[in-house]
Amino acid sequence: MNNTLRTLIKDGLWAIVFAGTVAAVIRFASGLGAGSGLNDVTPWGLWIAFKLGFVALAGGGFTLAAVVYIFHIENYRPILRRAILMALLGYGSFIVSLIVDLGLPWHVYMPIISWQHYSVMFEIAWCVMLYFSVLALEFSPAILEHPWFKHPRFQKILHWLHKLTLPLVIAGIVLSTLHQSSLGSLFLIMPHRVHPLWYSPWLPYLFFTSAIAAGMMALVVEGFIIERWFKRGMHFDLLGTLGAWVALPLGLYLILRLSDLFLRGVLPGVLDGSWQSTLFLAEILIGGILPLVLLASQKIRESREGLLTSATLIIAGIISQRMSLSMFTMRQSTGLSYFPSVAETLIAFAIPAAAILIYLFFAENLALLDRENPTRALDTSTSIDRLAFANQDTPGRAIFARRSGLATFVIALMLPTMLNLTVTGGDRSVNPVQAARGWETLLINGNDSGYVVRFPHSEHQERLTDELGTKEAACTTCHHLNHPDDEATSCSECHTDYYQSSSIFDHPHHQQALGGNEGCTECHTDEHLRQSPEICKDCHETMVAQEGQRTFNSFALSYTDAMHGRCLECHGQKATELNKPELELCGTCHTSDQGEVNQVGGLSGN
Amino acid sequence: MMAALRQVGVLVDVTRCVGCNKCVDACGTANGLGEASHIPQQAPDGLSAERWLAIVESPEGGYVRKSCRHCLDAACVSACPVGAMTQTPEGVVLYDGEKCMGCRYCMMACPFGIPRYQWDSSAPLIRKCTLCYERLVEGRLPACVEACPEQALTFGERSELLAIAHERLEQAPSKYLPKVYGEFEVGGSALLYISNVPLDFLGFNGAPGEEAYPELTWEWLGKVPAVTIGAAALMTGLFWIIGRRMQADAARHAQTSQSSEES
Repeated sequence: MNNTLRTLIKDGLWAIVFAGTVAAVIRFASGLGAGSGLNDVTPWGLWIAFKLGFVALAGGGFTLAAVVYIFHIENYRPILRRAILMALLGYGSFIVSLIVDLGLPWHVYMPIISWQHYSVMFEIAWCVMLYFSVLALEFSPAILEHPWFKHPRFQKILHWLHKLTLPLVIAGIVLSTLHQSSLGSLFLIMPHRVHPLWYSPWLPYLFFTSAIAAGMMALVVEGFIIERWFKRGMHFDLLGTLGAWVALPLGLYLILRLSDLFLRGVLPGVLDGSWQSTLFLAEILIGGILPLVLLASQKIRESREGLLTSATLIIAGIISQRMSLSMFTMRQSTGLSYFPSVAETLIAFAIPAAAILIYLFFAENLALLDRENPTRALDTSTSIDRLAFANQDTPGRAIFARRSGLATFVIALMLPTMLNLTVTGGDRSVNPVQAARGWETLLINGNDSGYVVRFPHSEHQERLTDELGTKEAACTTCHHLNHPDDEATSCSECHTDYYQSSSIFDHPHHQQALGGNEGCTECHTDEHLRQSPEICKDCHETMVAQEGQRTFNSFALSYTDAMHGRCLECHGQKATELNKPELELCGTCHTSDQGEVNQVGGLSGN
Repeated sequence: MMAALRQVGVLVDVTRCVGCNKCVDACGTANGLGEASHIPQQAPDGLSAERWLAIVESPEGGYVRKSCRHCLDAACVSACPVGAMTQTPEGVVLYDGEKCMGCRYCMMACPFGIPRYQWDSSAPLIRKCTLCYERLVEGRLPACVEACPEQALTFGERSELLAIAHERLEQAPSKYLPKVYGEFEVGGSALLYISNVPLDFLGFNGAPGEEAYPELTWEWLGKVPAVTIGAAALMTGLFWIIGRRMQADAARHAQTSQSSEES
């Protein structure tokens, strides 16, 4: 791998990070609805699936710590520090991803002060918090060994950290055991969502064993990448033995998983031919049994290609289990479907991209690659390529300029998407009302369906005039808000939508009449305050918005609600007064006669 | 638990509901859910953050109330990591936005898919039916029950409601399916239904079983203290035993090599 390729890969990772940052700004500014594809039916999605993946790949940290410190198998020590860093970055990614995913991330400290020990999530919160601290302490010696921290004060801390190693390691193993398994128990409470082939009462055990396997294999793949990138030895012999040992957790995981399905009688579902069953078979056969068989052969295990292939397959199988369980095969209910949005996907990928960049930074600057001889990694004269910040050909300033240019480009590219995403919402269907047709008898097409209510208008008018004495009183019984110089405004003039309420106040009309923007102060006595039309308030007290309100108080009910409101009230009274219960029945007005409507012609628009 | 406090509930008689949506309107007004709560069919499955109660049509016909069931042993309450979901002594499940961190585990855990989220807000909260707890405290009925013109909703003590429900089933066996929905499902709920059409469709994916959901996780969570102590003890023990053995081995090895040198 040459320097150009390395720089290109780094640029690519930075570009993803920049894009993800822009997407995160959208998500925090406009809410989860604009920043993700999540919805009421699918409140968890890609971010959760990725989080499960991060933690599974971090499983190498506690596994190797146990191997080296507890089982005293010292020859794995050279790759221990890398394993700890992987775990640290895995958990770091988990936490960053969590902050993005939480609706109220500023309440993230709540599990510390508000305990609820019946919740798996509560246990996970505590374990992640503690284990991340443990990992930070476990890794800090690597940072403190850097020449910058030569001061005796730092060396004293380093000394204490070394003394603390064993308790830290044990705490780390216990916390990992608990919460690797708890990530599985998280899904125990949702048998209605998780697909039967992935659901299991043994999920905690499945997650624990598979995390060990995935963590070990992540170290193998990482070793190959490091070798390519830094042209450094990757302790192939050690990684090869990991390939042999992985049979233990992986085999256990597969046995547990299959026997659970068998015992619960779900196993026949594997052969039902659905895409879920195909995915399941691929996951088990290609991502589980095949690499197990491959690794059983010493020849394949000790060949570079064989080891890399098997490790990649195992990781793919276990990541597939995590993502299928939490996302792909999650059962949907009626209505909304889920597909990750662009912003959501960018954020999801930006987090591991950032983690890789941090890894590279540490690997370039700390005694990470060879524990035995820490000074070698710091010595520029050795074969290690010191890139980016310390590369002699490209000084730091040039790198900075390059990255800023990249950031500008990515942000400019994303601006249209940003605007598009932030200007969403309020997209409700509109059903404009058609005015009632007819003369003495009005045909009210209230449902816009062609089935009309035949409303004997003159009959009502006459009856009410008799009852109330004057014609005016009769009219205003129903026509409650007359326009100036108008006897009876028709209902549809204010109640303009069949199902939605609409504003009565015609602001554009008033604005125009008062001379456009010149006229604002005619009503709004203080032009900086929207809620100050004192003139209107004199008469229309309830109509004007209160301080802090954005819409006018007074809106017209939907056409349907308005009709029902006016008619039913009166009909109800009369039904009792006149002892005519049929007046109250729906069928009195809503007849199922459509033929007559069509005679009116064009009434319902079809 | 205090004996003076009753386990309350609402009995829904699906056969009486005419689908007028007055309960939904009353709910929106009583809870100040805003203009949007009065718009019918706003969300595909009826509910939204502004609409805590919906009348949905069952696949077999008939109008069915969809809202929080106020389960006796509620999945959402047990799932919430910070205790933002709580249950009052009367059995009403309430939500406290001051504690919530927005993980939405309650939404995932609910077997009926009820809790809703304010997706368009940058400070979103979980929204769901509170059984008008504030009104209950004042001795008033829930707004929906008060608004129902057909007496399809009955509020009262859960045990009394169960008696009423079984009485109605007995009196008109041809009218109802022989089952009180909510009596045993997921351990029972405050909302009870009697119906002429099957109500299994109200579950997120078919009717849930009779086991209370929190027990599904407690099987594992109950073991956590034991696992913690066990793992810590095992690791310390292994460290000590293996370390000692290796020391002994090294010493023996040194001894044998010494003796072989001597000979």
